[in-house]
Amino acid sequence: MPKKPEVVTLSVNGVPESVAAEPRLTLLDALRDELRLTGTKKVCDMGDCGSCTVLVDGRAVYSCLTLVMDCEGQEITTIEGLSRDGELDPVQRAFIEADAFQCGFCTPGQIMSLRGLLNATPTPSDAEIKRAVTGNLCRCGAYLNIVKAGHLAVELQWKVATQ
Amino acid sequence: MRAFDYSRPTALDEAIALMGQPNGDAGARPLAGGTDLLTLMKAEIVNPPQLVDIKRLPEITRAIETNTDGLTLGALTTLSQIETDVTIRRSYSALAEAAELAATPQLRNMATIGGNLLQRPRCWYFRNPHLDCWLKGGADCPAREGENQLHAVLGASPCVAVHPSDPAAALLALDGTLQIRGPGGERTLPLTEFFAPPTSDRRTENLLGEDELIISVRVPAPAAGTRSTYLKAMDRKVWAFAVVGVAAALRTVGGKIEHARLTLSGVAPIPWRAVAAERELVGQASGNDLFARVAEIAMAEAMPLSQNAYKVPLAKALIRRALASTALTP
Amino acid sequence: MTMLHIDKLRRGHGTEDEYKVVELDPLPRWGADAALAIVGRPHVRVEGTEKVTGRARYAYDMRLPGQLFARVLRSPLPHARIKRIDISKAEALPGVHAVLCVENAPEIGWYRDSFVFDRTLRFAGEEVAAVAAESERIADDAIRLIEVEYESLPFVIDFQEALKPDAPKLREAGNLVDEPKVYERGHVAAGLREADVVVDRVYTTQVAHHNCLEPHGCTADWEGDRLTLWDSTQSVFDVRQQVAEKLGLPEHHVRVVKQFMGGGFGSKQIAWKHDVIAALLSQRSGRPVQLMLDREAENLAVGNRNPTRQHLRLGAKRDGTLTAIAVEIEQGAGAHMAGGEGSETAGMYQTLYRCPNVRTEQCVVYTNTGPAVAFRAPGHVEAAFALEQAMDELARRLEIDPIELRLRNYTERNQLEEEPYTSPDSLRLCYQRAAEAFGWRGYQRPPATGSKRRGIGFAAHDWGGSGYPPGYAWVKLNSDGTADVVTGTQDIGTGTRTALTQVAAEELGLSMDSVDLHLGDTANGPYAPVSSGSATQATIGPAVRAAAADAKKQLLEAASKYLEAPPERLRVRDGKIFVEGEPEDRAVPVGDVTAAIAPHMIQGRGARGPNPEGKSVRTFGAQCVEVEVDVETGDVTVLRVVASHDCGRIINPTMVEAQVIGAVTQGIGYALTEGRVVDERFGVVLNANLEEYKVPTVADVPPIEHAEVNVPDPEANPTGAKGIGEPPLVPTAPAIANAIFDAIGVRAYDLPLSRHRIFELLAAGPAGGERAEVSA
Repeated sequence: MPKKPEVVTLSVNGVPESVAAEPRLTLLDALRDELRLTGTKKVCDMGDCGSCTVLVDGRAVYSCLTLVMDCEGQEITTIEGLSRDGELDPVQRAFIEADAFQCGFCTPGQIMSLRGLLNATPTPSDAEIKRAVTGNLCRCGAYLNIVKAGHLAVELQWKVATQ
Repeated sequence: MRAFDYSRPTALDEAIALMGQPNGDAGARPLAGGTDLLTLMKAEIVNPPQLVDIKRLPEITRAIETNTDGLTLGALTTLSQIETDVTIRRSYSALAEAAELAATPQLRNMATIGGNLLQRPRCWYFRNPHLDCWLKGGADCPAREGENQLHAVLGASPCVAVHPSDPAAALLALDGTLQIRGPGGERTLPLTEFFAPPTSDRRTENLLGEDELIISVRVPAPAAGTRSTYLKAMDRKVWAFAVVGVAAALRTVGGKIEHARLTLSGVAPIPWRAVAAERELVGQASGNDLFARVAEIAMAEAMPLSQNAYKVPLAKALIRRALASTALTP
Repeated sequence: MTMLHIDKLRRGHGTEDEYKVVELDPLPRWGADAALAIVGRPHVRVEGTEKVTGRARYAYDMRLPGQLFARVLRSPLPHARIKRIDISKAEALPGVHAVLCVENAPEIGWYRDSFVFDRTLRFAGEEVAAVAAESERIADDAIRLIEVEYESLPFVIDFQEALKPDAPKLREAGNLVDEPKVYERGHVAAGLREADVVVDRVYTTQVAHHNCLEPHGCTADWEGDRLTLWDSTQSVFDVRQQVAEKLGLPEHHVRVVKQFMGGGFGSKQIAWKHDVIAALLSQRSGRPVQLMLDREAENLAVGNRNPTRQHLRLGAKRDGTLTAIAVEIEQGAGAHMAGGEGSETAGMYQTLYRCPNVRTEQCVVYTNTGPAVAFRAPGHVEAAFALEQAMDELARRLEIDPIELRLRNYTERNQLEEEPYTSPDSLRLCYQRAAEAFGWRGYQRPPATGSKRRGIGFAAHDWGGSGYPPGYAWVKLNSDGTADVVTGTQDIGTGTRTALTQVAAEELGLSMDSVDLHLGDTANGPYAPVSSGSATQATIGPAVRAAAADAKKQLLEAASKYLEAPPERLRVRDGKIFVEGEPEDRAVPVGDVTAAIAPHMIQGRGARGPNPEGKSVRTFGAQCVEVEVDVETGDVTVLRVVASHDCGRIINPTMVEAQVIGAVTQGIGYALTEGRVVDERFGVVLNANLEEYKVPTVADVPPIEHAEVNVPDPEANPTGAKGIGEPPLVPTAPAIANAIFDAIGVRAYDLPLSRHRIFELLAAGPAGGERAEVSA
């Protein structure tokens, strides 16, 4: 039977949010159902696919295997938080330019994984780019272009940084 | 996932006390990375009435400490930390390689070493909520006569599921020990004793008490000339549990093997130490003939089930390769 | 320019009346030499920004005020009868708004002979009850409170077992779905007698799961007696028609919307039970209801690629000329015939190679497993694994190069209808381009190093992909000179929005930025068929072009008044209207003309015309792969793939390449790692998840080169483009199997080529690995 909700305070894309949550509420469901941030996708809900990837304190994690209670006081970044003032993140731009998706359902997760990589490693190798998305399944088979987009994002990010 | 209570104690004794309380038909479970526990709960394989968050206890850390005595990993150390730590990569290579080959980057960012050692088998009968299985308290093991292509070839137990951890095999090869705290205080348990195949009165893969917590993992500093590695065969190039994994640690002095550890994952209900094979290695001059013979010894006791005989030649191949890559030839 | 009218054809011998479209005012065709500015060039996806920002709204993303979430209780048993079901505790749970089961739901027929909620359950995963509640969690809690007493019935899982006379029966009439379907031309017995060599083998293929990342599901909402469904579907109009029929509603009271969809691959081309269940739960609760399947249900209940057993005999003369193709095919349907596109495994045997004597027999069998449904090139994928390996084996026996053998059996005609192809040279071009780009001739096998063995393999295929009428589009020119194109088709992730926008912009003479394409809504656009059969571009592309041409004609008539020049002398290019033969500075922006006539508006209408009479429109392809097999560990690594596929004119090379690479990627999964595992003792699927059902990851995909053919097929339709979505999946698995044979000298007759199977092959060795021939 459902448990009485408790209030969890967390920061989502830089905005403080309070969510009344049962202990069993996952971060994924909190984002999608409570905060209506549906860019983060629910696919397997078992940590098998990567479509629910978000950044918690800058690191890529599966939000389906994260309880929202565990996120008290933490900084969550979702796909909705990447573009600022209408300006797309370099990873997002790279995905469009490199045609790194078809149906687009895995795309937010793929982008968040690469964002997590670039946060920690601004100039990753090809192997590091591939490794960063090994936990993100794409059933349309856009992998080759996802890797291309990873490389392109590095270039675009460098250009932004040196402008 | 069924509803549960959640508590976040701030002291270790408080956490242990919570876990010791009888609470419904199953006890409270500790929550760290959650990557295994939550999947078990979503499939309703376990339905704990309470989760005890152990991530904010001062006594259990995510610290990696290395000194001349060896390596200490706080139980909350993530696989990502292990994979990227320069000292572990250099001096405890098998562990870094096993961490790197486990799961996915996101899971490695979440999963803790303590939880990794405690994770339950991936057996598709055990994990299927619609099927009964011995490990879940049922009468029989359906895998023994069923779809057992991924199951055990070694290790006698009523359960033929394999232990899923990659780092466990590496830590076993590196003579790791656990610091454990329970209501009665602290104890130290070598991993060789910690893991034990399930028996009729203990349907788990280890000897941790229900009210005990792993505090840290310690690995002694390897003697000069020791090299270790972890090799893994998967059913995809990445992101799969080991069909067979092999960890080897060898100390070769002047072409002669002085110390040997050989452990396997994916082949037995627990991370498997090939003791007879280790014995055969010590004192011998390293070489391919020796490694081939040792591989045969390591798998001599294998009892394949109806669909997993291929694991035997596969394990032998990986053993030969792991030994060849860790042996220092003069 | 409404160019069509409907003709009634009366065919002889009592066949039914057939209506067909006749084109009255055909468009000039874009031939090979057409000067096109936008069509044929790469363009990024027009919906890219929505998809990379998370703003693209999928069926799963609907969040309406008061929305409830639904969950479904499914049968844990493969064959059972519900003796008793009690939903009262579930209904009483706070937060639960509606519960449906066989006791309280209307009796609505489903599949051929079942009901949405049936008392008899024929597979583990079949729907037993459904709950709508304020959260998925509460709905799950309620599901656990439903008490069901089942009477377990005997069941059969394996489709070959199901054919045996004493097998448990799913239905009174037995397990055979229909009478076996037989096709014959010439005399295969004579053809086999004539043969110098006969390859006689049995091949089996596995059950594969689509595993679309977005599960099947929808959100249903009523306004009075009008229903709206936001559905994850490949066919808004089919879902509308089917749901209206099931619920007894007039079609105009059902609106089906699909803007974005997280993959379909064939499995979402029909209405499934969730559409009706969500509508009923919404009706009962008076609230919008979202019913999305979980991953397990997605793997159990909404389609899969059917398993096959194919006994193939291929007869040939010493010079390689085929004298007979005879195949007996058995395939599993699962527990129900789901409808939609059928899996015609027999098809490719009848058409791919020139052969006077062909006999195919296909029988479809019910089993107590989830229903099969079309999966990307249904039937052809399964058939290719057998036929293309048999051709490889024949080539080796005759010591003829595999490509040369195929050239010796080349056909420029569709042998089913004895009609010439509109593109008779396409397959030859595919052979040529694939072989050249790969370096097939002169391939130097690297010396075996340690345990690693290299090999190369080739396979070919044909497919439909012609498109067909009907299909419609409208074009509206706005006062500022921009255009809205409206059609009832879907973009299922294939790039339809982008490619259709290119067609419209090209014909209108506008820039891509000036054209918006609207689709996926039965209430906002004319009929378009299901997005399946690789038909969308070839069906709707011409309709969009016709609508644009209609609008352009009207625009130029208006412009002729504005510019005081006869319409015949006016051209539109880059958003401007030029007068032919006059200085470019007399050109005026389209927006000047549309603004001048505003608020009057130009509206174009277009329809898909008929396919050519007396000719056959087909697509073709060929692939070469190189693999490496580690004979000690059983690891198979695909090192590279070259894929060459004919789809007529390439509208957008970026989108076509994505289809090719994506399909090959799925083909690698089908060949090596994917396959449903069922414990036949319990009738339960063991890997109904993305952990043990192993779709390829980023690390499983080698370099895949698309060796373009890009020869327009103007006889096919006025755009010259044909389909590409499905076919590149067809030859991948047999090409890999042929390459594995080349590497290790052992042939694999059973999919998937898992490590387990590779070890079996290696253990059998080159001699033992050749499965004993059935006869010959």
